[in-house]
Amino acid sequence: MNIRHFASVCVSMIWLQPAAPAQVTYDRLLHAAEDNGNWITYSGSYRSWRYSGLDQITRSNAARLKIEWVYQMPTALMVETTPLVVDGIMYLTEPPSNVVALDAKTGRQYWKYRRELPKPINVCCGEVNRGVAILGDRVFLGTVDAHLVALDAKTGAVLWDVAVADHKTGHSITVAPLIVKDMVVCGISGGEYGIRGFLDAYDAATGKRRWRFWTIPEPGQPGSDSWPGDAWKTGGAPTWVTGSFDAEQNIIIWGTGNPSPDWNGDSRRGENLYSDSAIALDADTGKLKWHFQFVPHDVHDWDATQVPVLVDAEWGGHPRKLVYWAHRNGFYYVLDRENGHFLFGTPFAKQTWAKGLDSAGHPIRLPNVDPSPEGTYIWPGVQGATNWYSPSYNPLTKLFYLSVWENRSVYRKGEQEYTAGNRYIGSVPLIDLPEDLGHGAIRALNPHTGERVWDYKLHTKPWAGVLSTGGKLVFGGSDEGYFFALDAETGKEVWRQNLGGIIRANPVSYLVGGRQFVSIAAGSAIFTFALER
Amino acid sequence: MRTLVLLLWATLLGAQSKDVAAGEKTFRSHCAPCHGLRGEGGRGPNLASGRFYHGSSDADLLKNISEGIPGTEMPGLFYMEDRIRQIIAYIRSLHVSEQNTGDVMRGAALFQSKGCTACHRAGAQGGRLGPDLSQIGTMRSVEHLRQSLIDPGADVQPRYWVVSFQDADGHEIQGFLMNEDTYTVQFMDLREQLHSFEKAALRNYKVEKISKMPSYRDSLTNEQVNDLVQYLSSLRPH
Repeated sequence: MNIRHFASVCVSMIWLQPAAPAQVTYDRLLHAAEDNGNWITYSGSYRSWRYSGLDQITRSNAARLKIEWVYQMPTALMVETTPLVVDGIMYLTEPPSNVVALDAKTGRQYWKYRRELPKPINVCCGEVNRGVAILGDRVFLGTVDAHLVALDAKTGAVLWDVAVADHKTGHSITVAPLIVKDMVVCGISGGEYGIRGFLDAYDAATGKRRWRFWTIPEPGQPGSDSWPGDAWKTGGAPTWVTGSFDAEQNIIIWGTGNPSPDWNGDSRRGENLYSDSAIALDADTGKLKWHFQFVPHDVHDWDATQVPVLVDAEWGGHPRKLVYWAHRNGFYYVLDRENGHFLFGTPFAKQTWAKGLDSAGHPIRLPNVDPSPEGTYIWPGVQGATNWYSPSYNPLTKLFYLSVWENRSVYRKGEQEYTAGNRYIGSVPLIDLPEDLGHGAIRALNPHTGERVWDYKLHTKPWAGVLSTGGKLVFGGSDEGYFFALDAETGKEVWRQNLGGIIRANPVSYLVGGRQFVSIAAGSAIFTFALER
Repeated sequence: MRTLVLLLWATLLGAQSKDVAAGEKTFRSHCAPCHGLRGEGGRGPNLASGRFYHGSSDADLLKNISEGIPGTEMPGLFYMEDRIRQIIAYIRSLHVSEQNTGDVMRGAALFQSKGCTACHRAGAQGGRLGPDLSQIGTMRSVEHLRQSLIDPGADVQPRYWVVSFQDADGHEIQGFLMNEDTYTVQFMDLREQLHSFEKAALRNYKVEKISKMPSYRDSLTNEQVNDLVQYLSSLRPH
């Protein structure tokens, strides 16, 4: 090769700088919090702060945010996806169970995986999906027909496809999986169908299951005496929101959902372990290290399916490994991450079901708060004071941000017969009372006192999570279709845009070509914003 | 042979009765809030009269219960077919006729003479301030219609809540809520004009969950109320 030809090839190589992704190694995932330009796991990092250190977009320039691109999805289903962004490529899910790879700078498509689904699909709350996980050059997807699928990150080709459970019995997967080491950790949905919940780990290379932790113990196991008779077989406790990973302690911390049937606990008298709990599992074996049950014997559908926020901070004058957890039941908790002990708890929204928490963090229930045939009015409502959408912790402000619902429901108690593949819920609460629709808010809490630092009130109740950034902004969305940026210190609105569709997703931020982007799903599209050039 | 037929018949009856009992359980917890405990109706229509306005075959009922009825407040139910067929069996077992003894023609005349058309549309005529009643007979029970005349504030749909604020000259502006979000409101004023405003710019802005419809408790006789209810109940698609 002569020098001129060699130079020409070199120029071509520079020109053809590949857009294809680099490997997302486990080491890279461990350090995702410092990788500001990318968003490589559901909550941004294993500690699940949904925080981006990017600071190009600030309180003083956010008013210049403009739509950079829009990606429309051909669906009428709800879009709950959190996109992942790896080295310029965005991976997101389209409902019901499709995956799309886009150029993160332009929104143009590289490939799409379309899943053919059997009928009927038994899901409680829409054929939705909250996102993918990535390891190496593989993208992992849970499907509403309860399969886990590995795709080639460059082409979308199926590498393996395993059945996690039988979809005909009400099992489905809507959760974004979590990569831990060389495993894909994946939860299950079906708390309204009387499934027996579990959390699984699969070999990322082969799809072979490494371990399964049943969230309801079988007879003879610790905790099994919290279920009478055969109720454990149909007791629910699903795992449908992505958890967190404490690599130092080698524990996966994950939230579990409601016991089944939701609103009639007569057939399952007892505490119903490990429903509505934070569970900490040994990452290598799936064995239970500790648990904390927020609502023993829940009869209001108050899942603990929130994202656990892991923070190392001073507590009582000593450095401590903490979990911050704003629960659907209206209480905010701080737990010790080493043993699951309750450290602190206080209401963060109006609640009328408990006098407070005792020294162990157990609720002190008020009388007559259970569902009844004639209906019982209780705050928070059946969708909780918060729900699956993500909170955020910002290390600059040291505040905890979340979307809040202030509303009540009429909880009714009704039939509860179990038949496979049918709903097993024990009535349906009246969620929105026409005369009292309630309202929503984006709320900032002092995470160590639960004190409300500021409140950004919304007319309606939001289904969108929040993102906070190094620019001291909090991004959030509303059911009305507004996407907005707030001053993280004061809650003052600095920018908003009507996207014209309900926002039921979490925002992310990333860097492409040296520019900071912010993306969120609204209606049936992904909208991406950047500062006007 | 006759014994065998009788046995089969008895078995069939037993299965039906089991379906009805199972269907009643589901009906009470999922359907009764709108349709009444015995299907007699409420905000939703009577299901016990044997008359259905969106198809009366089992296949129609299965579809309507499974998928809901577009354009109405009827949501879809999420049970599999066997459970829905139990609900249908229960509905078929009900017999509660709609109790009203009014006269449709007299009711139609009252509807005109009492000024109802100023706010309500029925067919080709009427105003836009209140609910369109052109098909109200398929949506509400007679008891609910009676309540709407006597105590209109008892069940007001958010669409008809009353918006009010003061304009720059201090005049009070009123209208009916059409949409509201955190920042803006859309409404129809009392002259049927549509408006959209940023709420932050409005003085003394409020939304009252009340009805502007007057009560006819004292201005109509019982017989006239029955006549009007009978007329309203007759308003169905032809």
